[in-house]
Order: sequence, then C-alpha cells, then structure tokens
Amino acid sequence: MTAQLDTFRYDDAIVRKFMIATFVWGLVGMLVGLIIALQLANPMFNFDLPWLSFGRLRPLHTNAVIFAFAGNAIFTGVYYSSQRLLKTRMFSDTLSALHFWGWQLIIVAAAITLPLGFTQAKEYAELEWPIDIAIAVVWVIFAVNFFGTIARRRERHLYVAIWFYIASIITVAVLHIFNNLVIPASLFKSYPIYAGVQDAFMQWWYGHNAVAFFLTTPFLGLMYYFLPKAADRPIFSYRLSILHFWSIVFLYIWAGPHHLHYTALPEWASTLGMLFSVMLWMPSWGGMINGLLTLRGAWQKVASDPILKFFVVAITAYGMSTFEGPMLSIKSVNALAHYTDWIIAHVHTGALGWNGLLTFGMIYWLLPRVYQTRLYSQKLAEVHFWLATLGILLYVTAIYSAGLTQGLMWRAFDETGRLQFPDFVETVVRLLPMYWLRVVGGSLYLTGMVIFGYNIWKTWRTRPATYAEPEVQAPRLLPLAPEPAAATPRGGVFARFVEAAWHRTWERLPVTFTVMVTVAVLVASIFEIVPTFMIKSNVPTIASVKPYTPLELAGRDLYIREGCFNCHSQMIRPFRHETERFGEYSKPGEFIYDRPFLWGSRRIGPDLAREGGKYPDLWHVRHMEDPRAITPNSTMPAYAWLLRDPLDFASIQKRVDVLAMLGHPYGEALTRAPEMAREQAATLAAAIVAQGGPEGLADREIVALVAYLQRLGTDIRRTARAVAEAGGR
Amino acid sequence: MKLSDIMAAAGLSGWAQAAMILFLLAFVAILVAVLAPSRRREFEAASRMPLQDDLPVSPRAPTGGQP
Repeated sequence: MTAQLDTFRYDDAIVRKFMIATFVWGLVGMLVGLIIALQLANPMFNFDLPWLSFGRLRPLHTNAVIFAFAGNAIFTGVYYSSQRLLKTRMFSDTLSALHFWGWQLIIVAAAITLPLGFTQAKEYAELEWPIDIAIAVVWVIFAVNFFGTIARRRERHLYVAIWFYIASIITVAVLHIFNNLVIPASLFKSYPIYAGVQDAFMQWWYGHNAVAFFLTTPFLGLMYYFLPKAADRPIFSYRLSILHFWSIVFLYIWAGPHHLHYTALPEWASTLGMLFSVMLWMPSWGGMINGLLTLRGAWQKVASDPILKFFVVAITAYGMSTFEGPMLSIKSVNALAHYTDWIIAHVHTGALGWNGLLTFGMIYWLLPRVYQTRLYSQKLAEVHFWLATLGILLYVTAIYSAGLTQGLMWRAFDETGRLQFPDFVETVVRLLPMYWLRVVGGSLYLTGMVIFGYNIWKTWRTRPATYAEPEVQAPRLLPLAPEPAAATPRGGVFARFVEAAWHRTWERLPVTFTVMVTVAVLVASIFEIVPTFMIKSNVPTIASVKPYTPLELAGRDLYIREGCFNCHSQMIRPFRHETERFGEYSKPGEFIYDRPFLWGSRRIGPDLAREGGKYPDLWHVRHMEDPRAITPNSTMPAYAWLLRDPLDFASIQKRVDVLAMLGHPYGEALTRAPEMAREQAATLAAAIVAQGGPEGLADREIVALVAYLQRLGTDIRRTARAVAEAGGR
Repeated sequence: MKLSDIMAAAGLSGWAQAAMILFLLAFVAILVAVLAPSRRREFEAASRMPLQDDLPVSPRAPTGGQP
C-alpha cells in the first residue's frame, strides 16, 4: 500500500487577523490598566464620570487583557501551529472567520457594557448573560473548527502542544458554562442559581481555572511549539512535557479554594485546595526547567536574539509566579497576603511577564513569516524587550512592597493591645508612593507596546503585494494498522504494560484522549464541589438571616453596578485584628440570600460586611457625594450621580420574582415590591432630612444604596424574639 | 426529606479517598508509560515535529534580493 501524497495550503490570513487583534486589544487593555493605576494613586482621575470610575473600569481592564489580549494571542498561535503540526489547513475557513469576528464582537460588547455597569460581579465572569451565551457559541465554533482540523490531520501523533490546546478548549467550556448559570431578570441583569458560599466556591473554581486553562495551558502549548522554533532545537525533554501536561490537568482543577482561605468556606475544602496548589509546584517548575534547558548550548543566541530574550524572561516569569502561587496558597502566608496588593503583584508577574512577553516573542517570530518580509527593526524589538522587562520589575517591586506594607499594617497591634492603625485610611495613604511607582512601571511597559506597534506597522508596510500561498505536501493518513506490539508478547503482562501501547493509543486517538482529559477535570470538580452543595452541615443556617427587602435589593444591585466589590470585601476573617477592626467574623449562614456573593478579593477600602448601623444614614449620603469631605485622604471616587439619578422602582418586582423563584422566601413583596420599596425609601429619606440632610432623596438611587449598606451584617444581631415580632421582614 | 439530608446520611466521605487513590494510580500508570525506555526513539521523533513543518519559502527580504 503506498501512501497518497496530498497537496494543500495553510491559512495564514486568519493568523494575521488574530495577530493584529492581539496587538490592538493589548494596547487598549493596558491603557485602561494605566488609567485605573492613576485612579488609585489619585482619585481625580475618576473625572467624576460614572462610566470612567474605577469600579466599572477595573473589570474592563481584567477582561480586556485576559480575554481580548491573551485570548487573541492564543488563537494566533493555535491557528498557526495547529495547521503545521497536524499537516492540514484549518477544518473550515468559514468557521475560522466566524470565530474571529464573533470573538471581536464579544470584546466590543464587553467594552460597552462594563463601563455602563452591566456586570455579574464575579471576577473574570462579569459579562452578563446575553454575552455569555455568545461566548459559548463562539467557543463551540472554535472547538468544532479545531477538532475538525484534528480529524483531518496528516500526522498520526499529536504533538504535546496540541494536547495543551485540547485540554484548554474542553475545560474553558466546562468552566464558563457552570459558573454562568443564571436566571435573567432583564436583558442585562441576572441572578446566579448559586447563593453565598456555593456561589463563591463556583466562582473561584472558575476563577482559578481561568488562570490555569486560559492563561497557563494554552500558553504552555505555545511555548512547546514556538520556543523550539525560535531556538531551532527540540524541546529539552519530551517526556517531561508529557508529565507536565498530565500533572497540570490532574492538579490544577482542585486548587480553586485557596482563593477563599479563612472565609466562610468549609475548612476541609480550603485545605484540599491548598494541598493541590502546593503539589503544583512540581509540574510547574518541571515545565519551566524544560523550557529553559531547551536553550542548553544555545545561550549565545539569547544575547543577540530579542525573540529568545522575550521567551527566556517569559518562562522565568512563569517559574516565579508558579512558585509564588503555591506559596500564597499556604494558609498562614495567605492570612497575610489575602486582600492586599501582594496578589496584584503576583498576577502581574504572570500576566505581564509570562503571558505578555511570550506573546511578544511569538509575534516577533511570526511577523516576518506571516507578512513574508523582514522584521522592520531588530533594534526596536530589543528596546521593547528592555522597556517591558524594566516596567515589570518596577511594577512588581512597588506593588509587592505595597502589599506587604498593607498586610503588616492591618495586623499591627500597639503595646497596649489595640490596633496600631485603627483608621483604615492610614494604611491607604502609606501606599500612594508605591502606586505612583506602579504608574511609572506600567507606562514603561505601555511605551514598549507602542514601539511594538510601530515595528508591526513598518513591517506590514513591506509585505508583498500578494502573499505567496505555497503548496505543502504530506502523505494522507492511512487507517490505523493493528498495534504491532500486540503480536509479539514477551515477558508477560507487566512488560506489555510497560510497552505502553495504551498510552500510545491515546496519543493517536484524539477522541479517547479528549475524553480522558474531560474525565480528569470533571471528576476532580465533582468531588470537590458537590459536597458543599449537598451536605447540609457545610452551610449551617441562621434563623435570623432574612432576604433583603425590595429597596435593599435595589441598593445591592446598585452596589454591583458601581463595582463596589472591586475595592470593598464583605468577608471578615476570624482573626483578632479583623474582628477588632470590622466586627464579628462572617458566618457561612449569613450569605444564603447573597446572589451573587460579594465577598470581594481585595481591600482597597475597608471591609463592609458589618457596615450596617456603623454610621448615620446622612453620613453615607455625604460620603457617597464627596468621600473627601468625610475622610480627607480617601481615594474613593465620588458618586454624586447617585443623589441625582432617579431609582428604577418599576424593575424591582421582576427582580424579586426571580429571587423568589430561586427560593428566597418573599412574602408580601411578591405582589407589591415597588410599593414596599417606596415606603421604605420615604422613611429613610425622612430620617436623612431629620439628621440635617437634603430633601427630596426619596426617589433617588442613593436611598436604596444606603438602605442596603445599613442592612449589611446586622441580621445576626437580631434576637429570635425580634425576628418573631418583625414577622420575618 | 431533602436531597441534602440524603447526601448527608449517605456517608460519602470515603469516596474522596477512593478518588484520590484512583488518581494516584492513574498518575503512576502514566509515569510508567512515559518513562518506558522502549519509547525513547519515538519521543525523540515527536519532539522534532515543530521543526519539520517549515514552509518551502523562508522569510525573504522586501526587495526580494536576499533569500
């Protein structure tokens, strides 16, 4: 039987498209990053505009750099490398185009809806349900296109990069769908089917694995392809790359709960998350070593080649952030680092270093190839490399020191046993010099990006009038012959096992392989998540905890719209310095009506879990109108529009109905939620006037927000008798 | 009786250990398969895959002067 030789062409037009999108969105995402860095250094950069305020822009920054910049970078590399590793054109040009334009459309939708305040309030899953559906559809298009390409391949063995792509595509789909199960209350408002602890658990199962399967595994696939290309030598150890792959697939999925140490999450879950995170040290460093040792005997090339420089620093950053990640997951370290800037520094080592520099290196390598010309300037690429590296160093050193400073100040007691810095704002002011240094570091990185753009543009200008589309030839794949090892048994069962025909078969059968990956991911998820959902003792209920009133609910949705959770946590950990500062620690049972949960992950401002009753109503009104009139050094944006804009009472009924459907016991609110909200608003507005405040706030957004803030954390203070008297409000 | 009561009474905590052992066994199996000495040549070939996919044309100068 002779193999038939097929002739085909690779599709590089789609690679060029994704590559340009990577650059453009990268520039936008990093620019927004710079703006919010300025806002933290000085609140005047919020410009007192709703759609430019920090709480709304911060999710735009994270979404833009993760899904737009890193996402398009992944697609650039996947479309380039898969065709070549599988010796075939992509399955369908139409699907490729749909994937590209669909994804860009989603990004545009995100860039519009997030500043408008449409958000699900879950980190990296902020986009509302219509966009989530679009993401799922586009992801399926990508998956069909990718697996279709595998099915048509002319290469029997699937190179390890392809394994990483498969795992990423499958897992991201699973994560995205399960974390975004919501019931819509309107076109741009929905409530998750999970509440409180369970919602938090789902969110960080998703959030951590978004880091794992969006920012790590696909980029590892890119590393395993583009590093050997750039270094012109095979990867140091192919065996190690296989172990790297399986260990990461098996371990990563369990690690999510380390985002919730010392919160109301059951302790067994957080210990489990910690153990698996610590185990991740091994494969991550195995992968880093594998990457760096690929350059053995070729280090002189690194001195002259900016592409290899980008790769070396990217892989080192991967090693650094995956060393730090497990360290931060250790509970006692986490106790200091959680809610501080330390985490921000950690993710920027990963994002700017690993994802950013790997992407830049990859694109510099691709530019002459996909534009079929020469790179305009090697020198400017060098300049870009040094600016980016210096920028990262300045950024992370400043923010590491900010994080440590903050963590240590929060827990400091003086010799009399009282908090040394009882005023939260003291711990904010101390960080401002570091925040300015971050602005400098970020600007350097962004300047590098602009130079990058200039280099891309100049290179593009020297492209040929029409791109050559050379023919490639490869023998067609013949049907799988019977495994020869089976015919020559020798040495019994063990020897047969060691010959590893079974694993070889997996490597050749993408369907079986994909199923195995899915099983590894799903089994882990199910064993970790189902118990919190199902076993009653994990979330003890508290009798006095009742659903929010219609007005408080409206206020909570405003809190979500303005992105307050980006700076204020609602989760007091059981440490003395926290209970001294904020009050009684948070209990799992307090959150059963929290959809979505709003525990937050960062304390740029103080925790609000026990905010209710701490200050008079008028204090809140004045504070929202002009925070610096109350706290001179506060960096909080002013929210004067809340005092101006009318509250949308009409939509409250629909919201209450959806929550009632999800099991919140709403009594009379089921029929007259807007009326009840108006009554409570009138009482509250009268109280504000009585305290010496302005008149006419009864139908403004501010009353709803104040009602919500005054409710926060007060339920457990109510005695059983008070509950009975109130008839369960 | 709710589903959560049934789950609580079912005593499923041992399943986690079982899953852990299965995972460990799977990992050992993969370890054996990957480290099998008989596969050295195969892996060497696989590791060369990215280097064998170049287009017939290499990057050319914009003027077309240099190959």
